[in-house]
Amino acid sequence: MDEPSPTTDPLTNQFGSLNDLAHDLASLQDLAMRGSWRSILDQVSRARSLALLSNPHDHLIYLSYNVLALTKLRRFTDASADLDSLHDFSSNHYKYESYPQLYPSRSGSMVPFSLRFIHAQLPFKLGNRQQGLDRFYLLLSFIRQKIEQKGSNSFQESAKIWRKRENFVLHCLIGHHLGAKEFNVCLDLIRDLIDHDYLDPVLISKLGYIQMQVGDIVGAKGSFHRVEAMLNEGYSSLSEVEFRNLVNRNKALVYLVGKDYVSAVREYEECIERDHTDVVAVNNKALCLMYLRDLSDSIKVLENSLERVPTVALNETLVINLCSMYELAYVNHSETKRTLSNWIGRVAPDDFDASCTRV
Amino acid sequence: MSSTPQGTHSLAFRVMRLCNPSFPVDPPFRLDPADLFVGEDMFDDPLVASNLSPLLSTHVSTATDSSDMSFADRYLLHHPSDAMGFSDLLLLPQSFGAIYLGETFCSYISINNSSIFEVKDVIIKAEIQTERERILLLDTSKSPVGSIRAGGHYDFIVEHDVKELGAYTMVCTAWYNDGGERKYLPQFFKFVVANPLSVRTKVRNVKETTYLEACIENHTKSNLYVDQVEFEPAPHWSSTRLKADGLLHPADNLSAGEIVKPPILVRSGGGIHNYLYQIKLSSFGSEQVKAKRSNILGKLQITWRTNLGEPGRLQTQQILGTPMSCQEIELQVLEIPSLINLDRPFSVHLKLTNHTEREMGPFEVWLSQNSPHEEKFVMINGLQTMAVPQVEAFGSTDLHLNLIATKLGVQRISGIMVFDTIEKRTFDPLADVEIFVESD
Repeated sequence: MDEPSPTTDPLTNQFGSLNDLAHDLASLQDLAMRGSWRSILDQVSRARSLALLSNPHDHLIYLSYNVLALTKLRRFTDASADLDSLHDFSSNHYKYESYPQLYPSRSGSMVPFSLRFIHAQLPFKLGNRQQGLDRFYLLLSFIRQKIEQKGSNSFQESAKIWRKRENFVLHCLIGHHLGAKEFNVCLDLIRDLIDHDYLDPVLISKLGYIQMQVGDIVGAKGSFHRVEAMLNEGYSSLSEVEFRNLVNRNKALVYLVGKDYVSAVREYEECIERDHTDVVAVNNKALCLMYLRDLSDSIKVLENSLERVPTVALNETLVINLCSMYELAYVNHSETKRTLSNWIGRVAPDDFDASCTRV
Repeated sequence: MSSTPQGTHSLAFRVMRLCNPSFPVDPPFRLDPADLFVGEDMFDDPLVASNLSPLLSTHVSTATDSSDMSFADRYLLHHPSDAMGFSDLLLLPQSFGAIYLGETFCSYISINNSSIFEVKDVIIKAEIQTERERILLLDTSKSPVGSIRAGGHYDFIVEHDVKELGAYTMVCTAWYNDGGERKYLPQFFKFVVANPLSVRTKVRNVKETTYLEACIENHTKSNLYVDQVEFEPAPHWSSTRLKADGLLHPADNLSAGEIVKPPILVRSGGGIHNYLYQIKLSSFGSEQVKAKRSNILGKLQITWRTNLGEPGRLQTQQILGTPMSCQEIELQVLEIPSLINLDRPFSVHLKLTNHTEREMGPFEVWLSQNSPHEEKFVMINGLQTMAVPQVEAFGSTDLHLNLIATKLGVQRISGIMVFDTIEKRTFDPLADVEIFVESD
């Protein structure tokens, strides 16, 4: 399926490191991986004011990080304003061929695709759901045109990248329709993904969860059986451990819905044994313990995970669950929650929504 | 034993409704590095693409190393499906939510000792109170909790099938010894049970078959997955559900021939779904049914599922058929001439059936007189009263009425009366029959 990529010569490879792609990109990337979005805003601001960005593509990449950082910090109006400063993504200002001295023999759009994605996603956060949906569907149409174009020009690698973007946007749309409980649209979109050859065990598992959520238990079981059958069909998007854990977690969910919490816990423990960073298994196991009347142990499981693997365990859903358990277990839960909240303040990335502790 | 003011209690109840957890959905801002580090058309040049790919792949989030403080999964996509924002992590119910008739109320109850002393001889009770009844959910007096240490707690889970509408109060009470004094702690938790759906039915008869149309309307705040709607017929009746032939959209197929059937989801707040049943009387049963004058067809049993398969179940009242078959004496029109002329006698062929288990008659048959409200234009020609001999139990007899019409156009034969001369009872067993009277 994939041709082996030609080996790159470090002497002639112009993209040996991130900093070859944009000014001090490695630093921006490092900050982003740590979730230090405020520092990113500082770095962008400094680079702009000190005129360190010489090329148009530098400006665009810095703008992308800036807009992304603003969204991560939930400053959606500011993000939208910054994005709007570009006016028109298809303008010639943003084409490589407009600067032949800077980009000899390169053509096409230098707009990072993320900007188009953020442009479509932002309206949802600003309360304009219809505008967001319109932008996503227009984006989908735009991507499909690009795929055709690249195909007819024999730009194989580029076509592959654009197909990845098609897969991505379809998933975004499913998420937005799911949020509005438009299930039949979600099913249509999933069919669309399968028809375009994006069939994948994680996708079918998600389908199963959607069916479960809605109440179609029989349908969900069918989907999970399908996922298990895919174990031997060579899907490379998951490692062996990830795939096996996925199958166990799907089984656990079926047990959970049938109120057989003991068996569900057993499945989740198998996952954790195989991969102690499987935070889905950890979180869901804790919930099962609670439904088994063992509130103390459910709290311990969640607290342990925060201690042992904080970078994976620290997510808003897990914290909300833990706080709900504290509220049930302790009359004086405010103190316990404040302790948690303080710890989160020290450890969490800038984009963590601390309001989830309800302190 | 007096009720101690709330503030001085060592123990306190904490409760949480345990309906199913749910999957939160929140589409995230997570990216692919190829969409951020370079322009979107950068990969057009295959040499550039091949130089870039090793660099990009080292920056894609792979297996997480828990020792590094990397929150990569909040920023980069690990798998394409991450873009959906459909978390596999389950979320505990965050509010009490709505509760409906037919569901099961389930609650976690924890009693906590927030004082610095141990409390002893603890007895706990939990009870549901409605307008109509009190139901005991939990009573530890037989198997005592004993003592609860300082800072300790004791947990229970209670369940109750909700069968009544309206206001409910869950009353949790504890009796305990607190440093020599016996204390009593009552705590009250209120909620309201609403009606999730309404069912409208319509019964139609076509010859020997009865059809039942049922329309289910969803009054809840969420889409209802209707698992099953079954009609349970009364004794001697049988029913079949009629469905439109499987109209499967060709695009319903997953690859490898599997089908994802779109589930039947009745929209929240007023959505409806219709069901049709064909109901027949078994021939053995028909006479018993008619004798008992029973016109009960049966009941509808509805099961649905909400969040993560949470089940609910309701049954309707008995659904009644039309009263036609509960008459003792039945009169049927077998034949009317197709051409009826003004002022010319015509004969109507009738059948009189005795649906009782005793012999009836002999009868007298006539047409009732003009009433002040209605003038009659169809009357008996000849002897105004006709004699009909006895009819045995469950038997029938034929008779021919000789009639004449005195006005043109659409007219009615109405008011054929059947009088049982022994029991001295009059029956009016035939609905009006329309005829068309033409000129000569």
